[in-house]
Amino acid sequence: MVLIDKTARRHRWDTRFAPYGYVAPYFLIFGVFGLFPLLYTVWVSLQDRNLLESDAASLVWFDNYAKLMADPYFWNAMGNTLSLWLLTTVPQILFALFIAQLLNRKVRTRTLFRMGVILPNITSVAAVTIIFAQLFGRDFGLINWVLDLFGAGNIDWQAGTATSHIAIAVMVVWRWTGYHALIFLASMQAIPSTLYEAATLDGANGRQQFWRITVPLLRPQIIFSTIIATTGNMRLLAEPLLFNPGAAAATGGSDRQFQTAALYLYEQGFTNYDFGYSSAIAVVLAIATVIVAGLGYLVTKRIRTE
Amino acid sequence: MRPKALVLGCAALATAVVLSGCGSDTASGGKTKLTIGLFGNFGYAELLKEYASTHPDVEITDRTASYSDHHKNLAAHLATSSGAADIEAVDTGYINQFKATPDKFVDFNTKGGGELKDRWLAWKWEASLSKDGKQIGYGTDIGGLAICYRRDLLQNAGLPADRDQVAALWPTWQDFMAAGKTFQAKAPEGVKWFDGGPTVLNAIVGQASTGYYDKTDKIVVGDNKEIKAGWDLVVDGVQSGLSSKLLYSTPVWNTGFKQGQFATVTCPAWQMAKIKDQAGPEAAGKWDVTSVPGGGGNWGGSYLTVPKAGKNVDKAVELAAWLTAPEQQAKVFKSAGLLPSIPKLYDDPSIVDYKNPYFNDAPIGKLFTDAAKKLNPQYQGPKAGDIQTAIGNAMQRVEQGKQNGEDSWRQFVGDVQK
Amino acid sequence: MTAVLERPAPVRPAGPSTRARRLARRVAGPWTYAALIAILAGSAFPVYWSFVVSSQTPDAIDSVPPVLVPGGHLFENIARVFDTTDFALALMNSIVVAGTVTVSVVLFSTLAGFAFAKLKFRGRNVLLLLIIGTQAIPTELGIIPLYMMMSEFGWAGEIHAVIVPGLVTAFGVFFMRQYFERAIPDELLEAGRMDGCHSLRLFWHVALPAARPAAAVLGLFTFMQAWNDFFWPLVVLVPENPTVQTALSTLASGYTTDYTLVLTAATIGTVPVLAVFLLFGRQIVGGIMSGAVKG
Repeated sequence: MVLIDKTARRHRWDTRFAPYGYVAPYFLIFGVFGLFPLLYTVWVSLQDRNLLESDAASLVWFDNYAKLMADPYFWNAMGNTLSLWLLTTVPQILFALFIAQLLNRKVRTRTLFRMGVILPNITSVAAVTIIFAQLFGRDFGLINWVLDLFGAGNIDWQAGTATSHIAIAVMVVWRWTGYHALIFLASMQAIPSTLYEAATLDGANGRQQFWRITVPLLRPQIIFSTIIATTGNMRLLAEPLLFNPGAAAATGGSDRQFQTAALYLYEQGFTNYDFGYSSAIAVVLAIATVIVAGLGYLVTKRIRTE
Repeated sequence: MRPKALVLGCAALATAVVLSGCGSDTASGGKTKLTIGLFGNFGYAELLKEYASTHPDVEITDRTASYSDHHKNLAAHLATSSGAADIEAVDTGYINQFKATPDKFVDFNTKGGGELKDRWLAWKWEASLSKDGKQIGYGTDIGGLAICYRRDLLQNAGLPADRDQVAALWPTWQDFMAAGKTFQAKAPEGVKWFDGGPTVLNAIVGQASTGYYDKTDKIVVGDNKEIKAGWDLVVDGVQSGLSSKLLYSTPVWNTGFKQGQFATVTCPAWQMAKIKDQAGPEAAGKWDVTSVPGGGGNWGGSYLTVPKAGKNVDKAVELAAWLTAPEQQAKVFKSAGLLPSIPKLYDDPSIVDYKNPYFNDAPIGKLFTDAAKKLNPQYQGPKAGDIQTAIGNAMQRVEQGKQNGEDSWRQFVGDVQK
Repeated sequence: MTAVLERPAPVRPAGPSTRARRLARRVAGPWTYAALIAILAGSAFPVYWSFVVSSQTPDAIDSVPPVLVPGGHLFENIARVFDTTDFALALMNSIVVAGTVTVSVVLFSTLAGFAFAKLKFRGRNVLLLLIIGTQAIPTELGIIPLYMMMSEFGWAGEIHAVIVPGLVTAFGVFFMRQYFERAIPDELLEAGRMDGCHSLRLFWHVALPAARPAAAVLGLFTFMQAWNDFFWPLVVLVPENPTVQTALSTLASGYTTDYTLVLTAATIGTVPVLAVFLLFGRQIVGGIMSGAVKG
């Protein structure tokens, strides 16, 4: 009798408390090193706080935000961020759809091609940016050399606003398109062929079928990819930082022509060590990301079956 | 199902545990580990080996970062009292910022620095002395100015190659630009007169009687007529097509040396080490050195400091004193071209008569000791290094055709006075 | 923001069998192959070119016309990287960081994922929602307080500072939970319970073996992500104790005069993930297609 009772008690204890033990490691570590810093950022953003100034931080409420709203370099960085978001996200999704469509055909050595498109995604952003920065070199870059063959060489990619944005967008699109293509491919494979057969009978050609059947049916995946891509592309840092090595790397070009908001956060936070101001940038950037992701959601939600 | 991945992961964890178990501050065998944080080429590789061989109880590791990263990181490491090396080099452009917090550093005056004081140029000693009389740095080199030029390129463009005749081409910076226009008219495609506007401008700024700051640490560059005149002159040179438009200390600038994209480059003494590294052995004898337009002036030069948070402060002080001693500075001058901050070496025949074989046997001993004697040091304010970066950006905007000289100047002045 | 995580399941048609659909799919023509080969070449080119430069003399990097075939100097250049920089330490640090993070993420995610999927406890849904909600927030948002904390602990500059915040990920927990939901029938666990099995034993003997395929995919992604992580290590580490990525950033910042060296280092730093990719590429592709999303 005693034995059974003991077992029952242990069982009760097990079902009631053990689960908390299993999830505890996650919440402990995440709470200290994830959630707490997130919330504390808001608090720091209300302070005048610089790592290099020994005197204690002081609470200034919304001064940092007021300064930020009047800071032309912040708006410049936000503008660059939005421009890069557009230049990366849209091509990423469109190319991914196109590649998925190709991969969805009956292809020999399909694993090779699938691995091929995902290869850029596994390389490190630092290595890739260093490589691309070399390829985009003004005087001895391979890309200018190729363009020169067509009589359009010698572009100073880092100098111009448009050219630098294009160069950075190429790196991002190169890295992420394959990833989204595989997500789309998984869903394309599940579209019943009967839909296409019926469309063929109605006289719809391949392109019409793609836009009227495939894309609308992929809507959930397109929404998903757009949001994932947005959260990634709104915080580009490594690409603009390593694209322009030298003493002024954190300014993103001589006239800040490709300084993103994340890079401005880095410049303020980790070259000027102005933690209060930098935290304010982080908060505004997070809000902007949510808004832009929402925008992306609204646009992609409009995709409809004809 | 791939359990292999897990096995792999477990192996990695096991390695991790083993590895993190052996991290400690003293190396095996009870050696004291010293780290030294540098930027650019200090010419210390051989010296550190020499020191280690005479001090078997010490193990030295050196690390090098870029100029700007090095100083930014040092500021953070001092503020958090963690992560700094045992010895940290500090450039002239940043020494004022760091000496404002002397308590973060070992005061060399309390470690026998007073007896060594007379080694150095008086102004060099004072530049790293805090307001309350603490000495935070031992001077390494100074940045006496010269011009390095490519003999072959000048000759091909019909200009003289002999260094005295070349010097005669440019008594002033106006003459320098005029010679550049002559050069450019005959230069092959892709070869320009100078490397980039910022490099030239820094030399002109270094010669001005007042720099970015006045002596009360107020930023006065906006009203500095000397610097503005230099700015206008360089802008004119850039707009006349004399510039390769390469920013110094960037990868493309390094490539520019190798590819021979420009005929001249402003040469503070430390620049010679860079040229030798970048242009490589195949360019030996092509480069030469001559005097700088305008005469005098300083750009750069450094100090060795010992952050107080270090664990082996006394050994670090000893090493810093050794590295900056006259004998070692003389060696560095011969191996890497860094100009000593030790006045007695300026009359030492082994220095004065030294000729550098890489630079076509240029009598750099004579040239730079003369420059050092003429040098009238300019006061450097707390953020001179940052302002130098900003003015480089400003000149680049002109070179990239993004702004005209006036607009870019205005933006620069606005930026630094913020 | 839950949309970020609730990766929508592919359309599940009630149509003909998979086999029939596959037969009906368009057979690729020569143009498809040409396009796919072009895409493959574009994907591989930057990595290939970096390898080419690494195997050439320093002159190759800026020669006109560009050099496009590998030379015979690869090992010489690799030796130079290890001689002139402390890249060995960077590699070692990256192995330690990525290895520890991978094992920890897989372990804790499996444990928590199991609890969320198969055990009932008060507050379960709220906690799960918290995990889902926080996953979408960019890490940059918390980077300054995190840096302040690490300085406070005296961890700034140490690799612990990179390892510890990476020990758990919200994505990992969510991913494993989704897997357990589908992979283990409740009846199996009930039977185990009837036999008086403690839940930890159920986890160990039933859940863990069943979780191996998903855990392997999670491990692969976590390893690659930890290996390639850039912003946080850049901020918190110091140049003399770097990971591969921060070492590359330091090397590329302009003081190095030899860019062949930098690209050789980039190539060396890519080899470990490339090796993982070549060994487990099929699993990675399968993982992405079945929803193993990296944030």
